[in-house]
Amino acid sequence: MTLDAMKEGERARIVRVTGEEAVKRHLGALGFVAGTVIRVAGASYGNLILAVHESRVAVNDATARSIEVEAV
Amino acid sequence: MANNKLKIALAGNPNSGKTTLFNALTGSEQYVGNWPGVTVEKKDGILAGHKDVVIQDLPGIYSLSPYSLEEKVSRRFLVEEGPDAILNIVDGTNIERNLFFSTQLAELGLPMVMAVNMMDVVRKNGDKIDFDRIAKALRCEVVGISALRNEGGREAAEKAVEMAKKTVVERGPGKLPDVPHVFSGSVEHAIAHIEESIQGKVPARSIRWYAIKIFERDREIINRLDIGVGEMKHIEEHIRDCEKELGDDAESIITNQRYEFIDRLMDKSLALNEKRKGKATLSDRIDKIVTHRILALPIFILSLCAMWFLAVAENGPGTLLTDWANDGFLADGWHLPFTTHECREEGTYKGMEFEDAQGEFAKAEATVAAWEAGEKKASIEDEETGEVSEEWDIDEAAYKAAKELEEPDPSKFGVWVPGIGALITGALEKGGVGDTVKSLVVDGAWGGVATVLGFVPVIFIVFLFLAFLEDCGYMARVAFIMDRLLRRFGLSGKSFIPMLVGKGCGVPAVMAARAIENERARRMTVILATFVPCGAKTVIIAMFAALFFREQWYVAALMDVVGIAIIIFGGIALKKTRFFAGEASSFVLELPAYHMPTVSGIWHHTWNRLKGYILKAGLIIFPACVFLWFVMHFDWSLNLLADEEIEKSILRDIGSWIAWFFEPLGFGSWQGAAASVSAEIAKEQATATLGLVAANMDGATTGSHIQALFGSVSEFPKLAALSFMLFNLFVPPCMVAIAVTFREMGSQKWGWFAVAFQLFVGYVLALSAYRLGVLFAGGGFGVWTALALALDAFCLWAIFRPARKELA
Repeated sequence: MTLDAMKEGERARIVRVTGEEAVKRHLGALGFVAGTVIRVAGASYGNLILAVHESRVAVNDATARSIEVEAV
Repeated sequence: MANNKLKIALAGNPNSGKTTLFNALTGSEQYVGNWPGVTVEKKDGILAGHKDVVIQDLPGIYSLSPYSLEEKVSRRFLVEEGPDAILNIVDGTNIERNLFFSTQLAELGLPMVMAVNMMDVVRKNGDKIDFDRIAKALRCEVVGISALRNEGGREAAEKAVEMAKKTVVERGPGKLPDVPHVFSGSVEHAIAHIEESIQGKVPARSIRWYAIKIFERDREIINRLDIGVGEMKHIEEHIRDCEKELGDDAESIITNQRYEFIDRLMDKSLALNEKRKGKATLSDRIDKIVTHRILALPIFILSLCAMWFLAVAENGPGTLLTDWANDGFLADGWHLPFTTHECREEGTYKGMEFEDAQGEFAKAEATVAAWEAGEKKASIEDEETGEVSEEWDIDEAAYKAAKELEEPDPSKFGVWVPGIGALITGALEKGGVGDTVKSLVVDGAWGGVATVLGFVPVIFIVFLFLAFLEDCGYMARVAFIMDRLLRRFGLSGKSFIPMLVGKGCGVPAVMAARAIENERARRMTVILATFVPCGAKTVIIAMFAALFFREQWYVAALMDVVGIAIIIFGGIALKKTRFFAGEASSFVLELPAYHMPTVSGIWHHTWNRLKGYILKAGLIIFPACVFLWFVMHFDWSLNLLADEEIEKSILRDIGSWIAWFFEPLGFGSWQGAAASVSAEIAKEQATATLGLVAANMDGATTGSHIQALFGSVSEFPKLAALSFMLFNLFVPPCMVAIAVTFREMGSQKWGWFAVAFQLFVGYVLALSAYRLGVLFAGGGFGVWTALALALDAFCLWAIFRPARKELA
């Protein structure tokens, strides 16, 4: 499944990041790489606030759809 | 800066406390500018106590890959100019993510000190970090600091200086630095091969960094190095082998393995307090409210109202300060507030407050004017509404007494502090200089300076408010909340900040657009932000609302609405052109933890921006004001003219030459043209110039002169006035803002595009308002009406035509 299917408070492990090269690169630098466990800290109209490592990163629905995850 | 100085590059992630550390290390000795050729801020500072050491503050970035302009600038500086050492600041509360950047910095082969910041919080959280192990793994020095509490930063910087000096001595030619190897066997193998092929083509110390970038197929690096076709093919084979083996693309392999390396390192060197793991932080709880589906917008609007009240609301602190600066401090002088302003001198005014004395004098003037006009009653009109507020009978005795009354001298009332303008005039009069010089200095030069400084209060308050919102962490949330909405007009969530700033002044608004990564959204923001009526344009609106639209109370508010409408529909129309086509689909933004901003942090932030504005504006507005004074006060034979002789001035001729351009808009006279031209120097100049150029019209006051002026150019003076106002509000902003637009666009082509778009919008708006207004008022249909309708049809088509189909 992709990240947009997740609800507030749920945790998941990243399987793969797809999409535009530059954005993928930026997400990678922020810690969105395969194997990392993230948590949905907040959700609003499809936009998400994600807890990755110790930081919070806001993404919109389109970006959330480009991140494939599995339940943990 | 001189080359013999030791250069220490300060590098780190955004929100790692870099700015705080930089301010603490350099104190007030900072030089803010731009990196050559780009609009990324460059800050240098002398390390306090070390005259020979320069700290160079790099932009806050997450990686050395070319994602943003900031990253490109930083890496170019690091690998090409090569600082003598790197001071890498790392957020100790989020060390894993921060180390991703550190591993890349370490590969550059420069001496490096890692300053692990926020150690006070780390200790309070009960976490433990093993500095020695990290130092060994990354081949650098590691020290713990707390920039906020001013602990350890200086020692870290001094250690970097020491390392830089030592390395120069130790590292002879050929001796390569020890850099960390973080990748798996096959990747390291491929990198070793690449290193072999590029030997001698890159600086020896950074060869590993280059090799990794080539492995990642970094176009910018590969294109710059001269690698043979055969060689490149060979390298490509190695990369393909790794990709096949690991089942991923090269770039992802590097990113993943970096994080794996950090994971392994953290397993041994980071002990997180178990009790804290996975728990919602205070920031999470605040975000629950601030980014709440329903509450987010009202909270945001509330904070906007707060800024609006502080900066531009009537009787708000911003307006009071502005009035004080323009009418008092920079001009004639001011009464000390919170004291009585009673008259100290014998005479009619003895014991009166200054305001009452002014009222008394106004009545006397009205009495004189009425008696001399042969009337038996005198009255006082409200300047703004024109209502008669007082009326009284007069006789000869009253006239004589009134005639004798002298204007109250403010300096005789209470504690009077003379303004700078008055001081300059006084000094010149004492020095006995001629009228030309006096006029040049007071009206020309000082007038120009005062114009720039007069806007400082509003801009200062806006900057202060923004610095607070940014430093506490709320601004990132605003971008997040607004993104959904603004994306529809081709803008980004971050576009809102420039528009907010634009309410105060367009110059910092255009500069604030820098923060937007997406190039299309950034350009569009630069083009559209100045349509928000700024502080100077508010002066025009206020004057026209008072003179022409007393019954239409909504006109002033309507101008803000028109500005917002232009941004929305302009954005939609631009998004459909090929220049802005393409979906800005992704939004990724780190939300820093909320924290109480420090006074010194906000002050630095505000002052640096304010200084930038004053210098920029001063450099352009000052000479322009002197020029305007010149063309207003001289004829072609260079004779100094009195204010009433403006009909002989150079300005009159300039106005006549271009009046045809304004003919279709309903104010095609030299006066209208001259006022519009001077508005380009500084928007509020339009009102002052109108007052001067209309001086010879019928009427008793400046206001009635201007009303008469519009009556003389059009049968529909109200419509002509509306057209004049719309034109001057919505054509390109003042020349300072235009200059900044060109710079921020980074190219002449885009600069002209912006100006052309703005001119088109302003012209079409004024033309349509006037010509269609005339049509409805029964003034008939003409060739210009047809043109207006045609242009309106074109605009509607541009806004509502179907969007271009995107190719995936």
